[in-house]
Amino acid sequence: MAITTLWDVAYFMATALLGLVGRIIPPLAAPLGNVDLIWGLAALVFGAILLAASMINTIMLIWFERKMLGRFMDRRGAMHVGYAGLLQNFADGLKLFRKNTFKPRDADGLGFYAGPTAYLVTSLLMFGVLPVSTGWSDGSLPLSMLLALVIFSFAPLFIFISAWSSNNKYSLIGGMRSAAQMIAYEVPILLAVVAVVVVSGSFDLNTIVNEQRNFWFWTLPLTLAMIVFVTGMLAEMERIPFDLPEAEAELVEGWNTEYGGMLFAYFMLADYVRALAGSILIVLLFLGGWTLPSYVPAALTSFPLAGIFWLMLKTYLVFGVFVWIRAALPRVRTDQLLRIGWMRLIPLSLASVVIAAAFVLVKCVPVLGCVPSMGG
Amino acid sequence: MAADVEQKGRSKPENPFLIIGKPLATAARQFAKSLIRPSTIVYPFERLEDPKFREEVAIRSGRPIGVGQVWDNYRGVHALNVNTCISCNLCAFSCPDLCIDMVTVPGGDPKHPKKCPQIDYGKCSYCGFCSDACPEGCLSMTTRYELSTPKRAEMVYSPQKMFEIYQRKLPMNPIRLERPANEDSILLDVPLCIGCNACARDCPTECITMLDIPKVAPKPGEKPAKRIWKEPVINDSDCVRCGTCISVCPKECLFWGTHS
Repeated sequence: MAITTLWDVAYFMATALLGLVGRIIPPLAAPLGNVDLIWGLAALVFGAILLAASMINTIMLIWFERKMLGRFMDRRGAMHVGYAGLLQNFADGLKLFRKNTFKPRDADGLGFYAGPTAYLVTSLLMFGVLPVSTGWSDGSLPLSMLLALVIFSFAPLFIFISAWSSNNKYSLIGGMRSAAQMIAYEVPILLAVVAVVVVSGSFDLNTIVNEQRNFWFWTLPLTLAMIVFVTGMLAEMERIPFDLPEAEAELVEGWNTEYGGMLFAYFMLADYVRALAGSILIVLLFLGGWTLPSYVPAALTSFPLAGIFWLMLKTYLVFGVFVWIRAALPRVRTDQLLRIGWMRLIPLSLASVVIAAAFVLVKCVPVLGCVPSMGG
Repeated sequence: MAADVEQKGRSKPENPFLIIGKPLATAARQFAKSLIRPSTIVYPFERLEDPKFREEVAIRSGRPIGVGQVWDNYRGVHALNVNTCISCNLCAFSCPDLCIDMVTVPGGDPKHPKKCPQIDYGKCSYCGFCSDACPEGCLSMTTRYELSTPKRAEMVYSPQKMFEIYQRKLPMNPIRLERPANEDSILLDVPLCIGCNACARDCPTECITMLDIPKVAPKPGEKPAKRIWKEPVINDSDCVRCGTCISVCPKECLFWGTHS
C-alpha cells in the first residue's frame, strides 16, 4: 500500500498497532484483524495526528509571525531558544502552565472558566471539518464548508460570555465590540462564499478544491469575492487593522483583560488556531487547496504527503500576507470598522455574487477563452 | 477656523487604494531590506567593537567608520594606572555623582599613604569629568561596557580592578576637553602661616618645600610672631592645582589667586 496521504499514514499505524497486539497475544489476532476495527482505530489515530499537528502548526504560526514581524521592524524576533527561536513559544507555553490561574472576586465562575475553554475547543473543531488533503474525504460532508463557517461563527458567543462574566468594564466593552464586529463581518463573508458556491456548484470543500484543479484561473472571476473574504476573515480573526476588541491602547487587553496564566494561553492559542483555520479556509476556497494547477509537472504533486505540503505552504503564505497587513496598517476606529463592514463589503460581496453568476452563465473569461470542464 | 480645516479636508478626498497601498509598500520595502540581515546585532554573539563586524557595517552602510568615531569615543569603565596616580583627589572632587572614593592602596610609604580612586558604577553617570580632571592622565575611560552583575557590591570597582582593566590595553578614550589653562596659582597669606608643614606633607606632587626664613626680632611693643620660621614655597610648574594644600591648611592661609 503506497502511503501518499495522512489518512494512509493513520491507516498504516492502526494496522501495525493491531497486528503487533495480535502477534503478542495470538488468540486476539483474528478479532483484531477486523476491517471495521482497523478503520475505527485509524480514524482515532487520524484525529490524534490532526489535533497534534494543528496545535504544533498553531505554535509554529506564532513563531512565523514573530520572526516575520521582526523583519518588518528591522529586527530578528525570537532568537535564543532552539534554532532561530523555534522553541521559544513552547518555552512561553510552559511558563504559562506554571502560572497561577486566578479569578476576580466578583467574576462569575462558570462563565469565567467555561468561556475560554469553549472558545479553544470550538476553534479546534474547525480542523475536524476542513479537509487537509485528498485522504480526508472519508470524513467529508456534503455541507462541510457551511459547517466550517458555522463553527467559525461560534466565537463571539464565547468571547462575550467570558467578557461579561469577568465583571470588568474593559472586558465588557471589548466583548461587545467583538460581538458587533463579528456579526457585521459574517454577512459579507457568507455572501462572498455564495460566489464560490455559485461557481463550483457545491458546498463540499473537497468538490470545491477539485473544481479548482480543473480550472486553474479560478481566482480571476472570484478576485472581488476573495478580497471581501480576506477582509472579513481579518475581522473575524481580530487581527491588527480590525483588532478593536482587544485594542491594547484604549481597552487594557480587551475581553481577556482579567485572564492570566493558562486561561490566557487558551485565548492566545485559540486566536492563532482561528488564524490557521481561516488561512486554510482561504486556501481551500480560493487558492486551490492541496492541488496545483493541472499544467505543473506531476512530480511536484506525487511525492508522499504532497497534498499537505502544498496546502501548508499556501497557508503560511496567506498568513504571511496577514502579518504584512499587520505590520503596515493602523487600527481602524469603531465607526470606520462598522462602516467598512456594512456599507463597503456587503455591496462588494453582492457584486461578486453577480459577477460569479454571470460568469457561470457565460462560462467564459474574455481573455482566456471558454472553459468546458467547469462544474456547476 | 475649524470650518476652514474641514473645508480643506473635504477638498482633498483620500484615495482608499493609496491609504492601504502606501503603508503596505513601505512595509514590503523594509521587509525586503532586512530579509537577509536586519540592522539589529545579536548582542552576546556579535559585538559592535568586533573589527570584522565594523568592517561589515562600514561596507553595508557605505560609510567608513574611522577610529574615534561612532563607538571609539564610547565612555565605559575606567582604566586606572595605579603607578602614575599621584593621589591628588581631583577625580573625586570633580565627580558630580560622588561615586568616587579615595581608598588606600599598598605601595605608599606608611607616613604618606597612597590613595587611588574607587568607583561605584551603581552611581556613576559616565560623564568623564574625572578623566578630564586627572592631571597625570592615569584615569581614562575605556570602551568596555559589560558591567551587569547580580550583586550590588560588585558594582564598586577597586583601584586594583581598574588597574587590571588598564593592563588589558583596551581602546582608551582619554577625555581631554579643550579649555583655557588654569591661570590661578596657590598663594600664601604670609602673616597667618604658622609653618606647620601640613601642605608640604600632603602635596601629591611634592612641589611644596618648606624654606627657612630669617628670624625677625619683634619691634618694641609688638608680640613675637607665632610662626616657627618656616614658610611653604610652591613650585608652580610642578603644581597640578589639586588644592590639597588648601584643604589641609589649619590656618586657612593658602588661597587661589594670580601672581600680580
